[in-house]
Amino acid sequence: MTQLLLFNVTNGLIVGAFYVLMALGLSLILNLSNVINFAHGGFLVIGGYIAYAITPYIGFWGALLVAPPLTAIIGLAVERVLIRPLYGRDPLYSLLLTFGLAFIIEDGTRFIFGAQGKPMTIPAFLSQSVSNELFFITWYRLFMVAVVVVAVTLLFVLLRYTRLGIRIRAGTLDLETVAALGINVQMLRSLNFAVGIYLAGLSGVLAAGQLGLEPTMGTGLLMPSFIAIIVGGIGSLPGTLAGGLLIGVASGLTAVFFPAASEAVIYVMMAVVLLIRPRGLFGEEGMMS
Amino acid sequence: MGPTQRPWSVDRRAILKTGAAIAAVQFASPYIIKARGESPVKIGFIDPLTGVYAAIAQSEVVGAKFATEEINKKGGILGRQVELLVEDSANDVGTGVQKARKLIERDGVNFIVGDVNSGIAIAIAQVTSEKKVLHIVGGGHSDIITGSSCNWNVFRVCNSTFMDANAIAATLMEKFGKKWYFLTPDYAYGHSVQDGFEKLLKAAGGTFSGSLVPLGTADYSAYLIQAKSYGPQVLINVMGGGDQVSSLKQFVQFGLDKQMAVGGTLFELETIRAVPDAARVGWWTMEWWWDQPGVPHVAEFNAAMKKITGGAATARNWFGYASVQTLALVANQEKTLDAPKLAHALSGYKLPPEIALQPGTPEYRAGDHELMSTVFAGEAHPPKGDPDNMFSVKNPVPGAKAAGPAEDTGCKIQWPA
Repeated sequence: MTQLLLFNVTNGLIVGAFYVLMALGLSLILNLSNVINFAHGGFLVIGGYIAYAITPYIGFWGALLVAPPLTAIIGLAVERVLIRPLYGRDPLYSLLLTFGLAFIIEDGTRFIFGAQGKPMTIPAFLSQSVSNELFFITWYRLFMVAVVVVAVTLLFVLLRYTRLGIRIRAGTLDLETVAALGINVQMLRSLNFAVGIYLAGLSGVLAAGQLGLEPTMGTGLLMPSFIAIIVGGIGSLPGTLAGGLLIGVASGLTAVFFPAASEAVIYVMMAVVLLIRPRGLFGEEGMMS
Repeated sequence: MGPTQRPWSVDRRAILKTGAAIAAVQFASPYIIKARGESPVKIGFIDPLTGVYAAIAQSEVVGAKFATEEINKKGGILGRQVELLVEDSANDVGTGVQKARKLIERDGVNFIVGDVNSGIAIAIAQVTSEKKVLHIVGGGHSDIITGSSCNWNVFRVCNSTFMDANAIAATLMEKFGKKWYFLTPDYAYGHSVQDGFEKLLKAAGGTFSGSLVPLGTADYSAYLIQAKSYGPQVLINVMGGGDQVSSLKQFVQFGLDKQMAVGGTLFELETIRAVPDAARVGWWTMEWWWDQPGVPHVAEFNAAMKKITGGAATARNWFGYASVQTLALVANQEKTLDAPKLAHALSGYKLPPEIALQPGTPEYRAGDHELMSTVFAGEAHPPKGDPDNMFSVKNPVPGAKAAGPAEDTGCKIQWPA
């Protein structure tokens, strides 16, 4: 039993790491631009399918490098054409827009690549377990965790030490003052959106390698990421990090005792957090209003 | 802007006059009345063209369209052309029912076919029986459709979940053992399959455990850890579509395929195509298979499908094809579109070889309206020769044997007065 629990905690951390990657992108966009990006799962699908399309030419590693920036470029175009005109309005507008966009991306993917799922090939040595004992830790999953660690570290370095990052953080706190100081806020939002979508694209490539591709795959991965943000606290990136890992572990542990509730448990957690501490574990007061 | 300023001058009187003239012509001229009599026979086809079942639903549409073309080439139904009206149920019960009502009330369809999702199929069946429209369920598998929820006007082409479970269970127990772990999607279809398996396993003195998995789960590691700790001889994978792809991929990545057998009822060709070679494993049932050497007409159908889709014909292609062909056959035989008459004629109706496309002549059983179609039990594997040769039929089980007696299904058909 102890072993089983230990296995599930470890496994939950691995699953949670993936949610973190998704959730950080969502969180970045939400914090600076007040856009609840329902199309984030759609961008994940775009990233995955781009990788699938270019893998035959440049291999898995090439696709891992190329697909996320290509996704970010598509994201940039979407932000410029569709989302920017809505910044001045109630967040409900952009929520509805991205909600519709999610459906368009899903159907578009189905139109181009077919409704049938596609297998994504990963290097053979990655799709093996680390050992017989730790059968659930494959090299691919370890690699995924490593990518998440690197991406998160780079993101925090970017936000902490670069001019762009400092401006993004400042903008999150008070966009008007940032604008008054002569910083091009439009540009700032665009770059920030692109970084968020880059993370979605990266998640897409990683998910495709593990789970295969399906036009609907984004939907199932999006909700846990939203919950990670709410549990961790809106406005706080460390909160998002903690939230993602926490729901991964909670869902893993529930699977030991009551498998059918392993999905419901994260929604229960969200409800409890919203009732007792609406700002989330690390969130700042007032961000929800 | 007043009406006199319009560039085109049509006033109220002109409209009234035209209307009266059209009405008069309708009564005066027998020609138009005759032409109305030759309006097409309409078949309403409802399937989840979007959502998780989109791939298999679209395969059914391909088969149904091909059947419609074939029927029209041979003179249609009662000498009238057949029109197929395809609607998307969006994998949602409310939408499916709404589409069924629209097809029947507004488009005036003569028949309904659908839905892949059993829950939607059952809901649509309530509408069709109320409206007295003959209804064929092409590809929704839950037992109750031809069991406790059966209807006088509803017939089914695909197998019941019990038929599939029955056909593969004996093979799995004999080859691998009687300690099983279920990975089951937590909704009507999954429960139905697991119940079928449990009955058979208990009767044979086996033991089992399992996880009910929420639909659309992306990561199966937690459930697979559970499965491994139970140490079964067989992992029964009941997941469908994309869920089956993800769960099988992880099963193989974790190396569990070397420690236990895997199998279950359906591992459809559409799904096998979506997994990498390593995950093309296990013992399953196919409800129709494109490679049946020596069985007449199968090769022609397969070639026709290949021309349209580029791949071998799938069971779903055949479901759509057989559903539409059944309607044409029985209507032309009985020379009527009257639903109660046709339903009586279909009870016990044997499909001819060019439509059955399998050994023997399967019939729509009178007791429960289930087509007694052969269940092809066998093993999945990476492609051999043909890229779609990814399954070897090891044991074709006759439908009637797999289904057991009609009385056991719980179906009591109430005919309309």
